[in-house]
Amino acid sequence: MPTYQLTVNGRGRTVEADADTPLLWVLRDTLGLTGTKFGCGQGVCGACTIHLDGQAVKSCQTSLKEAAGHAVVTVEGLSRDGSHPVQKAWIAEDVAQCGYCQPGMIMSAAALLKHKAHPTDHDIDEAFADHVCRCGTYPRIRKAVKRAAGGVK
Amino acid sequence: MTSRREFLKVTGAAGTGLMLGLYLEAKPRPGEMPPAAFQPNAFLAIRPDGTARITVPKAEMGQGVRTALPLALAEELDLDWAKIEVVNAQPGPDFKAMQTGGSTSVSTTWDALRRAGATAREMLKAAAAAQWKVSPAQCRTEQGFVLGPDGRKLGYGALAEAAAKQPVPKEAPLKKPADYRLVGKRTPRFDGPAIVTGKAIFGLDVRRPGQRFAAVLRCAVVGGQPKAWDEAKAKAVKGVKAVVKVPTGLAVIADSTWAAFKGRDALAATTAWEEGAARAFNSAGLEAKMRTALTGPADDARREGDAGKALKAAAKVLEAEYSFPYQAHATVEPMNATAAVSATGAEMWVGSQSANRAHERAAAALGLKPEQLKVTVPLIGGGFGRRLGTDFSTEAAQVAKAAGGGPVQVVWDREDDLRHDLHHPATLHHLRAGLDAAGTLTAWAHRIAGPAVLRSWIGGQKAPSQAATETNGAYDIPYAIPAIAVDFAEVDAPTPLGWWRGIQVVPNVFARECFLDEVAHTLGRDPLQFRLDLLSDRGKVKFGRDEADIRRLKKVLEVAAAKAGWGRKLPAGHGLGLACHAYDGRTYAAEVAEVSVLKGQLKIHKVTCAVDCGLAVNPAGLEAQVEGGIAFGLSALFSQITWEKGSTVQTGYHDFPVLRMADMPLIETHVIPSPEAPSGMGEPPVPVAIPAVLNAVFAATGKRIRKLPLDQQLA
Repeated sequence: MPTYQLTVNGRGRTVEADADTPLLWVLRDTLGLTGTKFGCGQGVCGACTIHLDGQAVKSCQTSLKEAAGHAVVTVEGLSRDGSHPVQKAWIAEDVAQCGYCQPGMIMSAAALLKHKAHPTDHDIDEAFADHVCRCGTYPRIRKAVKRAAGGVK
Repeated sequence: MTSRREFLKVTGAAGTGLMLGLYLEAKPRPGEMPPAAFQPNAFLAIRPDGTARITVPKAEMGQGVRTALPLALAEELDLDWAKIEVVNAQPGPDFKAMQTGGSTSVSTTWDALRRAGATAREMLKAAAAAQWKVSPAQCRTEQGFVLGPDGRKLGYGALAEAAAKQPVPKEAPLKKPADYRLVGKRTPRFDGPAIVTGKAIFGLDVRRPGQRFAAVLRCAVVGGQPKAWDEAKAKAVKGVKAVVKVPTGLAVIADSTWAAFKGRDALAATTAWEEGAARAFNSAGLEAKMRTALTGPADDARREGDAGKALKAAAKVLEAEYSFPYQAHATVEPMNATAAVSATGAEMWVGSQSANRAHERAAAALGLKPEQLKVTVPLIGGGFGRRLGTDFSTEAAQVAKAAGGGPVQVVWDREDDLRHDLHHPATLHHLRAGLDAAGTLTAWAHRIAGPAVLRSWIGGQKAPSQAATETNGAYDIPYAIPAIAVDFAEVDAPTPLGWWRGIQVVPNVFARECFLDEVAHTLGRDPLQFRLDLLSDRGKVKFGRDEADIRRLKKVLEVAAAKAGWGRKLPAGHGLGLACHAYDGRTYAAEVAEVSVLKGQLKIHKVTCAVDCGLAVNPAGLEAQVEGGIAFGLSALFSQITWEKGSTVQTGYHDFPVLRMADMPLIETHVIPSPEAPSGMGEPPVPVAIPAVLNAVFAATGKRIRKLPLDQQLA
């Protein structure tokens, strides 16, 4: 089986798997990083969102081959101690209900704020258009993004 | 006598501190004798280091039980909230009442948890008083300390050992609500920090040494079975270890989830199916049967006066048909369970809302005694009633057994989850209202036709409570109408059914509250005043199993309407609509929706909600349930499951849409202060949201929506 080199949360990793293996399963099953969630595998729920070179991407739609050689950041690597401004805002607004979709939401929020320090409501709608929260935490996600606005470097 | 010995002091080994066991639900299950001797089923431990561990016997699925239940105990005990550890109970002889559903977790545990906290507090005070040689009455507690006269203080940790030697008081006094420090204040979710860092462990995140992963190839047709397949194709996929037959289909066992999925897909291409009788089932056929049943025989759920006679005598009769489709739970975490079988027993990890049944049925499937199977309940990535089912946990036990030992995680993909859900069934509603010459509502008849959830749930029998269960939300119509007839006409369907957030109350209240709106508009009456008049001068009213206090319902309706500015002038194309309901007679909710319909586009701007659920234990969690409940209800304006040839047409979130960020209205929640005991808030906001929005659509457009989903009806 071919091997691939990736950088995951700042650490070099060598992974032996087929080229078309979705990054989601490499993270969850091979590297044991279960913070990135499986929701649909169809690219429409956003639960598996991670950062690839700083961009929010769906890891279920990103192959190992595409990720090889790039910097991958998962929710576990967003901060060492939960101190990323988005994580802090999520706690301050008490966003989570069941919490399952939230790592994906948080990764999209962090990417949005990195590129646009003060997003409008429309920007927020767009950034989360591909995300599903069946518990309905959207109003608090919106508040948390606004709370974290300006704080993401 | 067991009821008097409510708490048991559990004497641990020296150095373990104070442990109290308590019995949370005194009612034995049907067919079960009350325990002969006291058996605790929830535990409080205060360790010598001052930390407190609370065992919670309910599953956390986002409704906040791991926060709200410990709050009740911590309040009476004056615990330091920062020093609390919350652990989930394991089903078995200690914990027999782990069922988590019906919005009952707080209401059924609130008293016992408070009394446990008060008992431990009195024992800690007695221990401190003995040490200081003062009276316990001279001591008080605060934030994990006992405070004595002259400013002396001792931490709970230092006192725990001595407190364990104190007798358990017969009656520990409870705090006055005015003295609450935690209850009634906004407490953030206990698991928040673990969730935002990705450390929270859900069922799918369970990882055991040597764990394998499995996907099950199931027949797309309900109840179908594989009759021929070539497992060589699956085994040719790298990472696939085995293919085993299980009662639900063919399980492909692999060293990663992805390999299991690929192996299953390869196997599918080689598999021939015995599809069975359900192949004849489709939505159009079901609808025709339901329409026939609207005029056939039915089971009475409520008869008050003679509705038939009153309708004949009416000066005017209004009638309408309402339709609600099949729905899916669509939890974001798909169904899954992990099972490890060894020579001596087994261990499972199941995100179950019904851990006791999951435990018993999996043990039976494994051929084990329940005590040989240990079940852990991790966090649940969305339940909404789906995980009351035990199909997925029993299946995982069967797969692990067939796999021959070692941990196996069975993972459903999105299509499996949507297709093999325990769906909420479609219903058709025929409503009639009789009006006299003066415009008074004199008769109300509501016939509901559809498959019976309860029958499917209990294995095919017709329970005496079937008609009441299937007409919940309809039979308990709260309005003063002289003649009321509500009945249920059952229609067969081969699909397994289950409980969905808001259960049958969702379609039934949709039909009831929209049709009442039609009556008000026909009479030229304001829909708010019309309802208030029908709720006037009523106190507690008994409806079959439930009793509702109509004054509390009237109050939430008045508050929601006032806060939403009912009657104000709106821009063109905008409308306000309202609806209300007393859920199981225990939680009262009213919602006012503001919508606009411009160029055929519906926009739900805001939902103003007033709720009365008795004491609000954690207002932050309560408001989250209102927001989430409304989102869940509004999703059902757009989603449906339809059937063709015995299979669901829908296979994922792309064709079973759930509400997303841009669709979510502003939510404003008003909690009515109440001295009553807490009830529940998981489900009550759901049913009211749909009619509030559709009544607003009528106000905005003059178009009455009687059939869901909306589809192109506003275009």
